[in-house]
Amino acid sequence: MTTTIQLRGLQKRFGNDANVRPAVDGIDLDIRSGEVVALLGPNGAGKTTTLDMILGFTAPTAGHVEVLGGSPTQAIRDGRVAAVLQTGGLLRDLRVRETVELIASTYRIHPPADDVMARAGIDGIGDQQVQSCSGGEQQRLRFALALLADPELLILDEPTTGMDVGARQEFWQAMHAEADGGRTIVFATHYLEEAEHFAQRTVLLARGRVVADGPTERIRSHVGGRTVRATLPESSPSTAVDDLRSLDDVTDLRIHGSRVDIVTADSDRIARLLLDAGAHDLEIEAASLEHAFLALTTDTDQPIGA
Amino acid sequence: MNTTYYRLELRRIFRDRTTLFFTLALPAFLFFIMGATPDYAGDEVRDGNVAMWIMIAMAAYGAVTATTSIGGSSALERMQGWSRQLGLTPLRDHEFVLVKAAVAMTLAGAAVASVYTVGAISGAEAPLPVWLISAVLLVLGAGTFSFYGLNFGLAFRSEAAVSAAAGSLVVLSFLGNIFIPLNGWQLTLAKFTPLYGYVALARRPLTGGATLDPDSGDLVHEPLWQVLANLGFWTLALGGLAVMLVARGRQRQ
Repeated sequence: MTTTIQLRGLQKRFGNDANVRPAVDGIDLDIRSGEVVALLGPNGAGKTTTLDMILGFTAPTAGHVEVLGGSPTQAIRDGRVAAVLQTGGLLRDLRVRETVELIASTYRIHPPADDVMARAGIDGIGDQQVQSCSGGEQQRLRFALALLADPELLILDEPTTGMDVGARQEFWQAMHAEADGGRTIVFATHYLEEAEHFAQRTVLLARGRVVADGPTERIRSHVGGRTVRATLPESSPSTAVDDLRSLDDVTDLRIHGSRVDIVTADSDRIARLLLDAGAHDLEIEAASLEHAFLALTTDTDQPIGA
Repeated sequence: MNTTYYRLELRRIFRDRTTLFFTLALPAFLFFIMGATPDYAGDEVRDGNVAMWIMIAMAAYGAVTATTSIGGSSALERMQGWSRQLGLTPLRDHEFVLVKAAVAMTLAGAAVASVYTVGAISGAEAPLPVWLISAVLLVLGAGTFSFYGLNFGLAFRSEAAVSAAAGSLVVLSFLGNIFIPLNGWQLTLAKFTPLYGYVALARRPLTGGATLDPDSGDLVHEPLWQVLANLGFWTLALGGLAVMLVARGRQRQ
């Protein structure tokens, strides 16, 4: 597999104040062709700034960006990279189809307008003015514009912002079709479930740095452990749990009425013990990315340089 | 040039009835009131008449309103993220500028054509070369004022500011000897304001450089360098300011 994006010691500092932490503070990253990667992090983690440098909108203060073996600007001029940007970027008084035609006219070769509109699910609203489109429709229009490049690399910055649940699902379905076609996809999100459902690989960003990078599955299991939930037997609720509390494998145990939540590294054993003690309605759940996220990012919460 | 982009831009303009009213209808109407109906409209100015003199002025007002509003709306588009969208395509900056310049010139041309049409059927008279040369000067010179609108948009970042830019042209038109003929110290002051050189140059094929002194009724000759110096200075000043504001906007990103 070839390298699609290569970032080395990437740094971006806004303004000249040396006391202000850089927005991007030394990122090294390789993304290979065909990967689907989530850049996950809270607001201010440096996701958008990193993507801006990959797209050539912002020059790095230090470090190096290489996209498809060349500069970001060259990759865009060759129509090999496309992006769906977070906000703005559309002319409100154009119609949907006109917007597609306008952007299409900037490429020497492009797929037919009807084709990209159908793939993005906006073929029914071609005559509508952009200003009367919902947030989700505008986002799908941006997606259609990105498809005009027929890009090898597709970059999405918070692509589902402003969409309702239904629109979000449709959007990711359309995106799955593109990923299956072999495109490299990098998307920034702060929706943990989007990374879980869509990305094979997740890069966790916090304070302008990579705090974790690996298969999404592994990032999630990084915190180790699952949550075991069960309803306690009515006859002897507390005694059934008391024994568990003292076990080494149990990191957290909480009782809400007749239900108990246990966070543990050995869910099989805890489940067996609970069932033996007469508990029922047992559920076992892998830790959510949210847990993983909190566990990993709080480690870096000390002030830099302190 | 990207003709698809150009064509779609024109379609946007013709959808915007406010802009069309202020650039095409209002200047023609103003000419009709001020230039076609008064008694002095038929008075001679060299080989033409006063109606022609007023017609050129109103066409100038329409043309600069056109380029100012295109310049201003281009600035707003940039700020609303459209330049980021275009930045994702192979379209280069200079191609974008070329499309916008062509659109501004087209609208300015339409404004001039609108006033000239009303003028032709309601009493403006001059030899054909005067019509043609003044029209070309009006359209080309109006380009300077696309910077004027652009600067308002870039500096104040709002639609209200762009409307204010177009509105302020009324004041500049009075100061620039466009709406009413100035004399004395007012005329001296006018020679330093942005629209003066532009309209004086466009009138030159008609007047041959003479300005009318309304008090004495005499013709006073004005050297060409004064007119060109005015237009040159304001083109450089407004253009230079635009370059500065664009650079400032880039830094902020």
